[in-house]
Amino acid sequence: MEAAAAKLIGAGLAMIGAIGAGAGIGIVASGAVQAMGRNPDATGTIQTNMILGIAFAEAVAIYCLVVALLILFVF
Amino acid sequence: MTETPKQRVWGRWVVLAAFLVGVYLFYVAKIPVIMPEVLLPAEEVFHLGGFPITNTLIALFFVDLIVFGIAFGVSRAVASGKQILGGISGAVEALIEMIYGMTEGTAGKWAKTIFPWFATIMLLVLVANWMEMIPGIETVGLIHTSEHGEFATQQIGPFLGIVKAEGEGGHALIPYVRVVSSDLNFTLAIAIVVVVMIQYYGIKSQGAAYFSKFWNVKTVFTKPIFGVIDFGVGLLEIVSEFSKVLSFAFRLFGNIFAGSVLLFVIGSLVPVFAQSIFYLLEFFVGAIQAFVFGLLATTFMAQATQGHGGEHHEEAHA
Repeated sequence: MEAAAAKLIGAGLAMIGAIGAGAGIGIVASGAVQAMGRNPDATGTIQTNMILGIAFAEAVAIYCLVVALLILFVF
Repeated sequence: MTETPKQRVWGRWVVLAAFLVGVYLFYVAKIPVIMPEVLLPAEEVFHLGGFPITNTLIALFFVDLIVFGIAFGVSRAVASGKQILGGISGAVEALIEMIYGMTEGTAGKWAKTIFPWFATIMLLVLVANWMEMIPGIETVGLIHTSEHGEFATQQIGPFLGIVKAEGEGGHALIPYVRVVSSDLNFTLAIAIVVVVMIQYYGIKSQGAAYFSKFWNVKTVFTKPIFGVIDFGVGLLEIVSEFSKVLSFAFRLFGNIFAGSVLLFVIGSLVPVFAQSIFYLLEFFVGAIQAFVFGLLATTFMAQATQGHGGEHHEEAHA
């Protein structure tokens, strides 16, 4: 196999990790929306914590993205 | 809402004219659209006495100018004594109010100390991210010879045009200005400053007790098994401090760099109209990432000042 083709396949495989982050962000948002529906007064606090949770879940996908970018453009 | 309906109508015509010019250039004049060469490290534009000036450094200079301009504008507006600030000053006032409220909610009595960090990071990163929206940034620049570039200059009628290079070797575009958040050095620098300051505020608020978070021997002899686990968790905390630097730096860098690559790809696939939808997405992502960077820094600093043992005690007071 050519090295260039292997690079592209590798970058694509690296991005599989984004599945977990996507599911995680969905779970966080679903929980936050349910909580806001039950207690609309606490919306501000819930929103802040939701964004924090999303940021942590998203970090994993960003690691995948960085690995994919490194494979594509550096090596 | 200071603008009159007349001005708004004019704005629409300008947008329509720009859209039609784009359609004409691409579909009638058949000017090819080429995807810029994507490079991970920032490119050097020129040297200043042996010191390489990269295009992200130029962008950082403009970001600083804009932030200073906003600061002077707002301070002049505040000094003018008006009750209601309009325009950018009003927007900045609303932003600062929101940030301060959020800092008070997470940091409590340390809000006054931590708030400048949140506000500085938020403003700087927000302006840096939103620079991506300005037309011409990352697309106007010098043309250099490159091994795997796709550009070549060629005489087209009276103009000097840019066309795709034929065969091996070619030319690549080095933009004059590239969004500073897409340079890992910038994000890593802010991340290191933030994590060092987290340790500083931890030591300042708790003294030597702060280190018991890392070297936890309080419960090793009192609780048989869980004490040892607590000690191991304390050692893991050291690793987590280093991983904070990486996750801060890569989160911002990854989002903004991927965003600019996305804009390149969409722009080279569908040059007319499609890109504006993704500009909207990038506008949103830029704001969220700036907010998340500041919010995470605030949360970690607040955690460091509260400590593990005294957590319930402090909550009872607050």
